[in-house]
Amino acid sequence: MPRWGMVIDLARCVGCYACTIACKVENGTPPGVWYAPVYEREVGSYPTAKRLFLPTLCYHCKNPPCMKACPTKAISKREDGIVLVDREKCCGSRACVAACPYGALTFVDEIKGEFGDELNPWERARYPQDGVGTVHKCTLCSHRIDEGNHEPACVQTCPTHCRIFGDLEDPGSEVSKLIRERNGAQPRPEAGTDPSVYYLR
Amino acid sequence: MARTEPFQIRIADLRERYRPQREWAEGRGLLLILAHFFTGAGAGAWLFAVPLGSDTGLVAGFFLAVLGAVGHLFFLGRPERFWRMATRMGSSWISRGLVGLSLFLVTAFLYLALLFLAAHTTTLGSILLALSMLGALWTIIYKGFVWASSKGIPLWNTPLVPALYIAYALRGGAAVLILLAGLGIQLGAWEPLEPIKLWLAVSTAVLVLIYLEVMRGSGMTALRSVNLLLFGKVALPFYLGAVLLGLIVPIGIGSFAYLDHIPAGLLALVGLLSLLGDLSIIYCIARAGLYRPLPT
Repeated sequence: MPRWGMVIDLARCVGCYACTIACKVENGTPPGVWYAPVYEREVGSYPTAKRLFLPTLCYHCKNPPCMKACPTKAISKREDGIVLVDREKCCGSRACVAACPYGALTFVDEIKGEFGDELNPWERARYPQDGVGTVHKCTLCSHRIDEGNHEPACVQTCPTHCRIFGDLEDPGSEVSKLIRERNGAQPRPEAGTDPSVYYLR
Repeated sequence: MARTEPFQIRIADLRERYRPQREWAEGRGLLLILAHFFTGAGAGAWLFAVPLGSDTGLVAGFFLAVLGAVGHLFFLGRPERFWRMATRMGSSWISRGLVGLSLFLVTAFLYLALLFLAAHTTTLGSILLALSMLGALWTIIYKGFVWASSKGIPLWNTPLVPALYIAYALRGGAAVLILLAGLGIQLGAWEPLEPIKLWLAVSTAVLVLIYLEVMRGSGMTALRSVNLLLFGKVALPFYLGAVLLGLIVPIGIGSFAYLDHIPAGLLALVGLLSLLGDLSIIYCIARAGLYRPLPT
């Protein structure tokens, strides 16, 4: 059984936010909800100032603290390592939001349109109307993976090949090779969550 | 085109290196803070009312816990699914808390019914009383662990938080009974409680100091949270509510009570201020919670 994961090459990220937007389009997330945000930070001062970008997503941890904290068993981990929220079971306690060391989950209290309270036709069709009062998170585009060998939307869209998707269990996969050869690092390893996402510098 | 407010807040949070915790401290999150305060004070009042034989204290403790339970319910995004929260006892402190609080509320209600019917001295009454005390103790203990199990927020993720919540719940329980005594509702029951209350207030003050000092040395995120408490946006409720109203005034008046008899009105004031202090500290700790930043 594969363990789906991702390698993010920080040296390649140009901060174009294409992954963030592709994810929003693919998953129809309402305003204020981003499954794949890019954190930005300015370091240094003129003339050596520069901007750093950190593309993120849910890290689909091997030991997900959100799953342990969820009191309703709404969060589960599939055999291929993808951690999903079942919004039919979620009671909106937000315990998972507080438990996640990576800020990957968002509680949705209401769904309004991007351009005002009223939803436009696209928003009516795509926003998860049943998701009010529940927690939303990245699914690693499990629907695309289940359909065939598709990559998550953020990976497919990235113009600089900064996000690389693959099987962490397969030593011959591109992600495994990159982690091995370039010392891929998991975010916050001290949290003991064993994320399925590695960063390259 | 104007954006909705959550959108702007989220954008601002994404740019913050130290992202503030909002889910359990803002908007409907305030209901969780009130719920923890009321359930803690209610369960504490029940625990103190039993040995003191204060029937009014039992009733007050029960109704405060009911108020807390209602707060918990309306805090949920989907309150109709609350029953599902009992399904992960193995790892979730919320699940454990729901079971403990349910045990307390059900057995306390049945015991109060027997008390009303003057049948509480039976074996059934004793069993219900024992179970209700177990439920109250469980309720007092679980709350701190709910906050402490949040790995991403260093200010909460420490064993000192459960200790602090237990101390404040017991203090709150004693304060409820002292407030009742001050209001003349349970006259005569408060005398043995005053030294306990004073001791709890002093030990809680020491615990708060230890907590802040330990947190100051627990990494940059925890240090920033402490700075928010002491010098930042949470400083006013912390100094005014938690320190002045919740610790200094009750300890001062409590010490004076050793020397001389204090009037009932002042007694009620001590109880009320202690409760306000308890609510303030829960609010302040929730509000000062910051997530560890992601490495960049």
